[in-house]
This record gives sequence, structure tokens and C-alpha cells, in this order.
Amino acid sequence: MTIRNFDRDKCTGCGICVAACPMDVLRLDENDGKAVIMYPKDCVACWGCESFCPQGCFDVSPERGRGELVSPY
Amino acid sequence: MNKLEDMGTVITTDVLVLGAGGAGMCAALKASESNVDVLMVDKCGIGWNGQVPIGGGILAYVYPDYVKEWTEKVTRGSGFFNNQDWTQIMGEYMHRSMMDLVDMGLTFLKKDGEIDILTWGPNIHVTLFDAPKSLVALKKTAKSRAIRMMDKIYAIDLLKRDGKVVGAVGLGLVDGKTYIFNAKATIIATGNCGYMHEKTYSSVLGEGPAMGFRAGAQLVNAEFNSSYVWGIKALGKELIGIHFYLYLENAAGEKIMGKHYPELMVGSHAVYTFDPRVIDAMYKEVKAGLGPIYLNLKGLTMEEIDDLAEDQVEGLTHLMANDTMLLLKEKLGVDPTMEKMEMWPRYLYSGGGLRIDTGGRTTLEGLWAAGGSSSNSWSGGGGGQAGLGVQSAAITGFVAGENAAACAVKNRRYDIDAACAEEIIDRIKAPMQRKGEIDATEVTYRVHEAVVPMKYNRLREAGRMNEALGIIKDAREKLGRVGAADFHDLARYHSAESMAMAAEFTYRAALMREESRAGHFREDFPERDDKNWFKWITIESKDGTPHLATLPVPVEKYKLQP
Repeated sequence: MTIRNFDRDKCTGCGICVAACPMDVLRLDENDGKAVIMYPKDCVACWGCESFCPQGCFDVSPERGRGELVSPY
Repeated sequence: MNKLEDMGTVITTDVLVLGAGGAGMCAALKASESNVDVLMVDKCGIGWNGQVPIGGGILAYVYPDYVKEWTEKVTRGSGFFNNQDWTQIMGEYMHRSMMDLVDMGLTFLKKDGEIDILTWGPNIHVTLFDAPKSLVALKKTAKSRAIRMMDKIYAIDLLKRDGKVVGAVGLGLVDGKTYIFNAKATIIATGNCGYMHEKTYSSVLGEGPAMGFRAGAQLVNAEFNSSYVWGIKALGKELIGIHFYLYLENAAGEKIMGKHYPELMVGSHAVYTFDPRVIDAMYKEVKAGLGPIYLNLKGLTMEEIDDLAEDQVEGLTHLMANDTMLLLKEKLGVDPTMEKMEMWPRYLYSGGGLRIDTGGRTTLEGLWAAGGSSSNSWSGGGGGQAGLGVQSAAITGFVAGENAAACAVKNRRYDIDAACAEEIIDRIKAPMQRKGEIDATEVTYRVHEAVVPMKYNRLREAGRMNEALGIIKDAREKLGRVGAADFHDLARYHSAESMAMAAEFTYRAALMREESRAGHFREDFPERDDKNWFKWITIESKDGTPHLATLPVPVEKYKLQP
């Protein structure tokens, strides 16, 4: 899971994050119309939701659940 | 044998564009000018996809009266290793490309009502556009031109009939449907491979070159343009700005750039985030046991930090550095004026792509390619100036779109061969037939272990590259044990496969090229060797495995001679 924080209270249901996600991780909830994380393990940390969300709801970590990225050194 | 309609939803069009980022959007818009039916398909939601919206919003520009000199500069700069025909097309198209983009709805930075052409160096010019909204603007035009668009479809393989590409197969990620596209002409514009490592360009996963390769199209230049950038480790993001390099220090608090590149300490220099000298200095320090490397801005005011980003660059890098500093505070609670930050090199992107001719055609009939998925050798392996990535995407997109549409006007559509489609769909869905022992993510991690370390991918050497190829082989073996319960799993399986393929292409070509040239550096062959290596390396599938060959640079046919 690389979306380390999703502040759902701030979500207005505009759907930009859903559009921006290349792996269909995010969907709009049928009941309250807000974004919901449906497929957390499919996140590629592309940073689209974080970059484009007008409310700043997302914080994406590049770590991919392992704690550490492969080191370049 | 099943009927085609039983295998999936069949959709016909004249020009099929796979990937609707900068290159795909330009290809589709240009194709639509020939009054053909155009369909764009993307795994993302179109408008927010690809690399352009997340990039810097920089478009390289060459004044029309400077094109001849620019072409010559690129040619001489690359040691005549470039495809001069394509360099010329790039140069000549730059002004027109900008004007076409304006007509298509893109907004550029203006001054006194005119597009502001900025000077970023001697004869280096750029224009700036609003990157995050750029594709949304172009999409509006695409809609008004009745270009059809389909979101959230993960295209995996091409379909052929009698050796000619007649369409593609895609997985509907949201609706779980299999889509079978049947087209007169197909354009691959899905980018190259960002390996989903760290946060920039990580959504492009090598799908386009991989599907082209499987269908039999030739790849070229896989050993070039692998790029590292330096960035803030905790943020997973590069730092844009030209003076930050002066504040890099090792664990002992020594400034590192002056140690390795004293010339950079005298006078004023612009050292961008892509500058390999910074990456090399970091690597040397860490290997000498002096890591990690920090950016130490302690004691500076935020205004002073802002100024470090800027030089003659108006507006843009200033804003981006500002953004990064803000992110540091907001996301990590780090105050850059009070604490130092660990920096490290990030592997950004693989190079090469499907080989295209001056009409954007690949070596397969019915198939065109544009943007990061394609390679035309225009730069001769070098990176070039800022904004050329977007310009190259736009121009190769325009060229492919125009020529694919011309072909669609002239030719009829060939129906898809149901037997061929069935075979390909069976291959695509094979992981659904087995019980998975491991997750596709494990394969991705393994690929990262092969491509990210600089000892494999930057300071290349035969023994170590063979080690990296061993890791990739292991990744592919692991892939054979990955199962899939649904289309989401399948998409992750196929992205892991295309990443492993991109990595293999890079190292096979890099191993073959026993010399150093442009961004390809061999520790065991540190010199450029024009006698033996004045040729491009091509890769083609022979029974599914990569077969490498060389293609002498046809310099005798070009205008400029060494």
C-alpha cells in the first residue's frame, strides 16, 4: 500500500483522482460519492492522485510497503 | 474455435491510438485532421494520464532561422551518430509543433500577448505551458473533433493478420471485459519504462515496446538514455533547481561537488537535476564510505532557498523548488532551513524504443509508434536540452498520426483472424488458469534490484551486467509462478512482465556495445570506438527471445559528413 494517507473528510468527490489513477486503485463510492481505495496493492506510486487532487487529500509514499526502496548504490 | 464476438467486445476504428499521453494525444489530433475515425485507448483516465501532466511543462523551441545550425550542432555533438533525417525533422517541426499545439488548445506562457520564448542558455530556448492541465485542454479539442476515447483499458498485445498489425487486445480494468480492437492503422504511444520505482513517471511500465516486440517489431537504442536524477530520499522526488548542487555534503559535513568537480565552484554554473556529474560525485562519496549524502540548507532563509532554484530561468524552476520545499514541510514536517535532508540518485527511466522511420512507421506493417515508445536516433544517444522530451513526443506524435491516417484513408480494414485472437487472448489470460504461488509485486522488486543499482546500470561492466541479467532471469522465473484472480491481477502480471523485458533489452544491448558513448558508459571499455561501434543496435524477437543485430549509421546518405 503506497497511499500512506488519504484524508477522506476533505474529499469532495470530484473524481480527478479516480481519472488520474492508471491502475484503477481508486473508485468513487456509490453511497457517499467520495473516493475510496479499492485495490490498494495495485498502486504504482505514480503520484497522480497526490499531484492532481484539488483538496490535497493524498500522500503517496514511494516505499511500496517494504520500508526501503532498492538502493542505487 | 470460438467466434470473435464470444472472446470479447469487438470495436472497430480507422486509427487506433494506444496510450493517450502527450504523444498519443498529438497523434490522435493530427490523424483526425484527415477525417478518419480515431480511437484513443488508455489505462488511465484520459486527461490526467502519461508523463506530460506530471512533468515540468517545458517545450523546447528552435527559432526557424536557427534550424540549420541546430541540426548541425546536434549532429556534431553526437559525433555523427544521430539519424540526421530525423534531427532535421525535429528542428524544422519545432516552431510548427508549438503553433499546432496552440491551435489544439494548449496555453503557453505569454508576454505582451505573444508566446514568451525564454532563453535558457546560448541558443537554447524553451516555452512554458501549464503541465497539469495540458492534456485536459487537448482532450477538450479531441472531444470537439469527435475523437473517440476509452479510459481504463490496459492494452497488452497486438493482433496481426498476414504479417500486418490489424488491432490490439485490452483488458477493461473497471468493467472486467476483454476488448478486441480492429483498426486500419495502430499507433503505440504508451511511453517507455519507468519501472514504478519512486514517484516520477512510474506509471509507464514498458507495455508498448513489449507488445511491439512480441508482435515482431524491431527495437533500437535500448542501451542509451537510461537516466538517473538526484532527489530527496524521503520524498521520492527529484529536486529541480540549478544551484542546489553547491549545498550537497557527505556524512562528515564536507561539500562534495568541489572535491570531484572543482571547475563547478568557479563562476556561475547551471547544474540541473539530470546532471550526471552530481550522480557520479554522490556515488564516489558513498563508495568511499563517506555516505549518506545530504542537502544542507541550514541557516538559509526560504527566500534564499528559492533563489538557488533560479538563474536565467524565469518562473518555472522557482515554482517547482518552492513546491518541493512546501511538500517537505507538509508531508514530512521537515523544515529545510533547519534540518539537512538525505539525497540520493534515483533511476528514472529506460531508453530506446520501437524503431521508427521518418514517417513514424515501425518495422511492422500497420504499426506506427510515437513518444517514449519509439526511438528514431535523432539525438544520437544524448539527452539534449530541457523540454525536448515533450517536443519529441509532440513531433513523433504528429508525424505518426499524419501518416497512419493517410494509410487509413487509402486502405481497407482487414478483419481480425479469430484463431490468432484466441491464441493471444489465451496467452494474456494464462495466469488466471493457475494458482499463484507468489505475487506480481515480488517480480517487480526483483526487477528493481537489477535496474536501480548504479553498479549495474550507470557504471556498466560485463561481469556485473551478467549478474543483473541473472536477476532478471530469476524475475522471469518468478513470473511463471504468479497467478491472477481477476483483471487487476492480470494487469499487474503483464506490467511486471513488460518491466522485466525492458530491463533485459537494456542490458543485452549494453553488453553488446563494447565501448562508451553518450549516456552509455562501460568501465571495461571506457573509450568511444568509432571503428567497431559506429552502428546502432537493434533487437527483434526470434521465437520470443531477443535477437540482437547491428545497423551501421548510414552517414554517407546524410547531409553532413564527419
